[in-house]
Amino acid sequence: MVLYVKQLTNRGDIRMKKILIVCSGGMSSAIVVKALKKEATKEGMETEIKAVGTGEYEDTLSNGWDLVLVAPQVRHRLDVFKEAAEEAETPIAVIDAQGYGPLGGPKLLQQVKELI
Amino acid sequence: MNKFFKFIEKVLMPPMTKLAEQRHLRAVRDGIVSTMPLIIIGSFFLIFAFPPIPFLAELVEPHLGTILFPFRLTMGLMALYASYGIGHSLAKSYKLDGVSGGLLSLATFLLTVTPQMVDEVGFVLPMDKLGGGGLFVAIIMAFVAVEILRFLQERNIMFKMPEEVPDSVARSFEALIPAGVIIPFVWIIVHVLGFDIHTFIMEIFRPLVTAGNTLPGVLVPIILITLLWASGIHGVSVVGAVARPIWLTLLDENVEAVAAGAEVLPNIAPEPFFQWFIWIGGSGATVALVMWMLFSKSSYLKKLGKASIIPGICNINEPVIFGAPIMLNPILAIPFILGPIITGILTYFAMYFNLVARPSILAPWTLPAPIGAYLATGGDFRAVILVLVNFAIMAAIYYPFFKAYEKKLVAEEQGEAGEQI
Repeated sequence: MVLYVKQLTNRGDIRMKKILIVCSGGMSSAIVVKALKKEATKEGMETEIKAVGTGEYEDTLSNGWDLVLVAPQVRHRLDVFKEAAEEAETPIAVIDAQGYGPLGGPKLLQQVKELI
Repeated sequence: MNKFFKFIEKVLMPPMTKLAEQRHLRAVRDGIVSTMPLIIIGSFFLIFAFPPIPFLAELVEPHLGTILFPFRLTMGLMALYASYGIGHSLAKSYKLDGVSGGLLSLATFLLTVTPQMVDEVGFVLPMDKLGGGGLFVAIIMAFVAVEILRFLQERNIMFKMPEEVPDSVARSFEALIPAGVIIPFVWIIVHVLGFDIHTFIMEIFRPLVTAGNTLPGVLVPIILITLLWASGIHGVSVVGAVARPIWLTLLDENVEAVAAGAEVLPNIAPEPFFQWFIWIGGSGATVALVMWMLFSKSSYLKKLGKASIIPGICNINEPVIFGAPIMLNPILAIPFILGPIITGILTYFAMYFNLVARPSILAPWTLPAPIGAYLATGGDFRAVILVLVNFAIMAAIYYPFFKAYEKKLVAEEQGEAGEQI
């Protein structure tokens, strides 16, 4: 049984997804992390999601992530974020405005699924 | 109204965000942000030194000098810390060694100050040039230092170490030639030729600082910030990149006045002016709107109101800007943009006529506005009243627009419910 579970979690599609969300100060994205996490758990998706401000972004990026999400209000800095993400070979996308908030979980999860 | 949003998106936004993302301004922003913890904690010692309660004030008076030391060595040396932070960020943006960039900037900045000989003490550095008063010099010197570093490294003019030398050791020698160029360069200008860089640079930036303290100087950032947020861009982050050195210089002059025991402070418009009195609950003072949403007949607005009220009290308002939404929403964007202009004018005159104390303390931005305003003004209860008045004004301005939008949403919700049946 233990072996079976192990095999299951090793399969790529069930493997835990690591998502990094970057906003200006890491405050509003913390709310979004909570909403996304709740929605993902509901669907049985295992995730590790972290919120950072622009200052910590580059240092955190090297920890290895499956996806970087950029908060809509800092989308004008996408080019700078992208450069670092490409170096770390991590896909990056801007969150849809409607998905960015405490009630945006379902919408954001849908966007995440399309990206991963 | 659609044309209006198009105007913001196409005409206003591109040059502003481009400016804010300009490499040097970005380094200034990140470098200054990294000094904020020191400035916030340091400036709190001003409150300890001048508590708003007379009894306590008398009690601490004999110890004033001692209590103010942490303040003098943090906020009082603001430019010194910023110089390292800016140099570090700028060097990193060029993919150069951050520590080398920071240290070179620091040395270049310190070289602009002339040590003074004091009997029985030895050589001392005049601290006034290392605080807010020297901020613009620190910025320019960081640019000079890192650009020279970059120029030399790009042309491979550096001290080559044999291959056996470990990387970390080799890197510490990389800054050797840049330092050998920068230090004599600044030394000759400042100390040999006797050119007063501080006066020269401050005279260039003085008009900007003075303008930042006028009524238009207050309203322009307010309007730009709400216009940017109305199209979903972080207005404070963009405008602050340019305005923050000005706001910090204004703050420093106020803080120096407080430390010197002044009753009336020289400046009205350091950043806490906007943060606590205008942006109550975040840019656009949206917590007033969220309050109406709590009582909404629209189930969506009510749900969003409940989810947004706690972040709103802590000045986090992305949930309501993107959720309601205010962004690109012609109905809610009008009070969002107009309201702060009115509270901005009111607050300016309240402080101009000294009905409310002018801000001198930086408090953490997630505090509820009345508490933040009380701390920012060094404990003036009239500041709390002004925040409540501004909140009431914003609530009144939002109300009719909120009602109109609510009506629209309720109609849509009922339509959906009808379809489901």
